[in-house]
Amino acid sequence: MADALKDSPIKAVQVEALVVMKLINHAAKTFPTVATGSLVGMESLDQPGLLEVTSCFPFPNVDVPASDDHRDNHHNNNHKDLAAAAPRAKANLAYQNEMIKFLREVNVDANNIGWYTSTSMGNFINLNTIENQFFYQKDPNEKAIALVHDVSRSSQGSLSLRAYRLSPAFVAAYKEGKFTTDNLQKSGLRYHDILIEIPVTIHNSHLLTSLLHQLPSDAPKEELSFPPNLAALLQDPNTPEPPFFPNYDSLDLAIDPFLEKTCDLLLESIENHHTELNNHQYYQRSLAREQAKITAWQQKRKAENAARTASKQPLLPEDEWQRLFKLPQEPSRLETLLNSRQVEQYARQVDGFTAGVTTKMFAVKNNLLPGES
Amino acid sequence: MADKESFLHLARPLGPAPLGAQPSTAPLNVVVQPQAIFSILDHALRRPADQERVIGTLLGTRSEDGTEVEIRNCYAVPHTETAEQVEVDMDYQKQMLQLHLRANPREVLVGWYATSSDLNTFSALIQNFYGQQGDGTWPHPAVHLTVSTDPGKEIESRTYISAPIGVTAERAADSCLFIPVPHELKYGEAEKSGLELISSAKDREDRSQPIITDLEALERAITHVLEMLDRVSTYVNNVLDEEAEPSSALGQYLMNALSLAPKVDAADIERDFNNHIQDVLVVSYLANTIRTQIDLSNRLATAALTLGTGDAITGDGEQQQRGGDRQRGGRGGRGGRGGGQGRQQREQEA
Repeated sequence: MADALKDSPIKAVQVEALVVMKLINHAAKTFPTVATGSLVGMESLDQPGLLEVTSCFPFPNVDVPASDDHRDNHHNNNHKDLAAAAPRAKANLAYQNEMIKFLREVNVDANNIGWYTSTSMGNFINLNTIENQFFYQKDPNEKAIALVHDVSRSSQGSLSLRAYRLSPAFVAAYKEGKFTTDNLQKSGLRYHDILIEIPVTIHNSHLLTSLLHQLPSDAPKEELSFPPNLAALLQDPNTPEPPFFPNYDSLDLAIDPFLEKTCDLLLESIENHHTELNNHQYYQRSLAREQAKITAWQQKRKAENAARTASKQPLLPEDEWQRLFKLPQEPSRLETLLNSRQVEQYARQVDGFTAGVTTKMFAVKNNLLPGES
Repeated sequence: MADKESFLHLARPLGPAPLGAQPSTAPLNVVVQPQAIFSILDHALRRPADQERVIGTLLGTRSEDGTEVEIRNCYAVPHTETAEQVEVDMDYQKQMLQLHLRANPREVLVGWYATSSDLNTFSALIQNFYGQQGDGTWPHPAVHLTVSTDPGKEIESRTYISAPIGVTAERAADSCLFIPVPHELKYGEAEKSGLELISSAKDREDRSQPIITDLEALERAITHVLEMLDRVSTYVNNVLDEEAEPSSALGQYLMNALSLAPKVDAADIERDFNNHIQDVLVVSYLANTIRTQIDLSNRLATAALTLGTGDAITGDGEQQQRGGDRQRGGRGGRGGRGGGQGRQQREQEA
């Protein structure tokens, strides 16, 4: 992973606070449907390799299925898939170009630098994401990223915002479109190498910093006068609202929803994996059957030719089987690769969650049962 | 930033504008979402060097009776202002509005913003443009939000609606009476985690902050809570030692807070704790087992199986490949069943 990051033209992503807010709002509004949109910004001038995301805008809701199926025929008219496929739809490209044209007039850095998507519980590694990112990244010079915001995980405490790019090896393989066992053996492409994660930092403008210092943040440090009664205390303007930072939501103890969801998603992945395996087994069986047929045919032809040689007749060609039999096409292993990557994502997520939640649980236990530590 | 001042709204005689074209001047409450303010500040930074202030359109929602306005979104509109005249790109405003409404069909035009606290004749002109019939917010009043962006000074925001004023119809077109209305800055539950990260960068020199992990966030929250607890207990101790002045209201408040502590049996806690920790560990264990299995299966699928014969020739390789696949199928299936069992078990425990 670390080496892969070194080769990438983009080494870090810096996201403006405005983009974070817009993204969160959009994702929250459309949840549980996937929210997608376009990112604009530019590569930093003083720091090559640092991509600055300075603004973003959502793609329009997809209502007309007809406008959105030029690469996506197998996905039917499922609304969810349409929303997820939005970034590469023709109608949205036109929308994006128009929007960028308008943004340029008000001095926004008007370069498209990728797209964003929302997800739930890290469930974003699928063909749609890959196709979208490939669509933006297929040009070798294109410095496009995918920003992924996890709505479910952000609601549990700290913000989950990640930036990804496809690895060059994967892009090359995807361009050829061949994900057969042979190809994978040759290229050594593994599921770890599909996506490269790029570190993300949040950046505030000076004006914003000044605004943030005005917002309530901490309990007042100086001595306050005493409230005359309880009601006055509850209404006192000096009673601080919960500050933005640190966020007490991360002290929440609800763990069951997370576990349940993770299990569901893991089961789903296993089922997918199983389907893919069955496909592959089916292919292997039919391949073996065809090969057996070919061998039988070849032996028959050989015997025939031997008989012909004995009777001095002209020989029949022996390579005619290539026309007569057709070997089955090997199913693509892409889906398996993505699925594996998805499972890895879940597993990492669970690890992170376990670390936090066990700490909290032991803290609660010791707190409620003092003296038993 | 939310104004705590109180507002008094007085009815007044209206100007000579024709009856029926009168926008309502009923008082209203304005709620501003942080996204809009952030966007305005961003626009203020990107203003042309020769311009004092920049303007833009506010989008949001309005309650049915029009007394609550929520400003959710906004976009910049180019305009030029000289001593004599003001020019707003109407075409741009219209097209941009359409683009925005395509992505956010539920939002409507609610008004406009300017990045300076000054109100002048041009403000009145623009205000009348936004409040007009047809393209404007009529019959609801247009909301005008000013955000002062002078460097080195506090950022101040004010909201206004307007009432027509002027002796003749011509004078009324380029003048209006701005009426201040209360507004507050509100953020939603979903934005909290984002605001947390954004405001954690406010005390840093470079004004940037890498994404923090869950564990770090937890640590900070706990430290913060501990600090507050310390502060309260110091105060209580001081009162007990008769060093600080006691307050019955504070005492009552603390009593109320303490009575929220759950009274549960120790055995219950022990049992719940064990159940939950087992759930967590089982899921974590399963997830990692599945990951390992899948990794293994991928390796088996793509490994050149040779069985020590040196090179794998096609026919042989194919055969063994199949063997590998079959094995994989078995393992995958077993993993699946394992997951299923784990889940059932967990559900029983829950």
